[in-house]
Amino acid sequence: MTTESSNAIIDCDVHVYPKNPNEIRSYLAQPWKERFNGEGRGLFTNPVHGSRRDAIPPGGGPAGSDSEFLRKQLIDQYEIAHAILLPRAFCNLHPDPDFATAIAAAYNDWLADTWLGKYNEDGVFKGSITIAHQDPTAAAREIERWGDHPHFVQVMTDSGARAPFGQRQYYPIYEACERYGLPFAMHPGTDGMGINIQPSPGYPTHYIEWHTCLSLGFQAHLVSFISEGVFERFPNLKIVLTEGGVSWLPALMWRLDQEYKGLRYEVPWLKKKPSEYLRDHVRITSQPLERPDNDKHLLQTLEMMDAEHILMFSSDYPHWDFDSPKMAFPKLSESLRKRIFYENAKEFYKL
Amino acid sequence: MGRHVIGKVSELPPGSNKILALKNRSIGVFNVNGEFYALRNTCPHQGAPLCKGDVRGTTLPSKPGEYIYGQEGEIVRCPWHGWEFNIKDGRSIFDPNKCLVKTYEVEIEQEPSAVETFPVKIEFNNIVVYV
Repeated sequence: MTTESSNAIIDCDVHVYPKNPNEIRSYLAQPWKERFNGEGRGLFTNPVHGSRRDAIPPGGGPAGSDSEFLRKQLIDQYEIAHAILLPRAFCNLHPDPDFATAIAAAYNDWLADTWLGKYNEDGVFKGSITIAHQDPTAAAREIERWGDHPHFVQVMTDSGARAPFGQRQYYPIYEACERYGLPFAMHPGTDGMGINIQPSPGYPTHYIEWHTCLSLGFQAHLVSFISEGVFERFPNLKIVLTEGGVSWLPALMWRLDQEYKGLRYEVPWLKKKPSEYLRDHVRITSQPLERPDNDKHLLQTLEMMDAEHILMFSSDYPHWDFDSPKMAFPKLSESLRKRIFYENAKEFYKL
Repeated sequence: MGRHVIGKVSELPPGSNKILALKNRSIGVFNVNGEFYALRNTCPHQGAPLCKGDVRGTTLPSKPGEYIYGQEGEIVRCPWHGWEFNIKDGRSIFDPNKCLVKTYEVEIEQEPSAVETFPVKIEFNNIVVYV
């Protein structure tokens, strides 16, 4: 698109849903067709509400299932130039990798036909390829199936996993991502559910604890990616930390850099300080942006984390913790605002 | 301050509310157990339409592990992030002194045209909001 105004925004985390489970089921072959029931993730449902109460389409159906209403409430209202869509298949919790792979494929077929197809004449919607990381070889095949599609711009999985994402069993996924130039995005979803480990010492009691601690899994995955040398093995691989929190990043990188000074011996494949891999390989999305009482503290954190180059705006529409493009951030310099709200994502996703 | 007659008492029974545009502001008027209150329909957090949120009770201050549910019908919960506000004074539950939403004065006025010799039922009176 070339006609965007200077206020144009790229929203890097928007959730779309099928109108009902049959939309997904129609893309499944037996025996999965009759087993699929559209179930969610099971545990830790939000005790207040899961989606914005005003995001329920007037014509019925779940929040995020009506493209006309989503366009009105998000795209048009906030001048969104592109919305990166992340469906929530929750396939990563299933013990049966074949079932999980089939669900991922059905979501991709559905997204391609609908939000990236018939709802997308102007190309405002860009999609994520859902994969089941239980079976990395099958996941790589699924990436190949969509790798040349004009509107799929990243590969996506839940942050819930059985092992940190830097480990070698996942490499078929990263090899496919690199081959097609698709970033690998992780999004919270099935941490501690089904076959996936809960990244805290045991299960917390409350949703507030679980939701706050989602950042822990992201931190472990990022440290793993860097320490295992994934970015040396796959020099063109890029990853996105979507909805995993923001302000923890500087402190974690200080810690990892400090450890590296004494422990480089253990990971000799690293060619530079751990934090120096971020700008070339890692992007982080903004929502849910932490807001300390003093705006200066957040602005300092943005500077410390190199937000100018690695932070990308996201709203998480239509979920309950939606960040308004107009209200989520304190006043930013115009150049930093443009980087975060538009330019970083435009360059990163080649939009 | 402008005086706005927004309807009859009978049109806004206990537990209900309506959202109106008064002086270019969106304002929610609530009937909480027969008492009337008006709040700005803008959450001070991120600008969500606060008055479209669920009206409900809440968990009152308690000891760890104890739940005391109360203030039934007195709390509006923001439809976006779930922040709770007391409809009666516009104060948030989590930080009533620093986080609050503007309130407006509401009065019930006897219908002026009511024939004086008949007893006037309250439900035919006007709800008046001062903005």
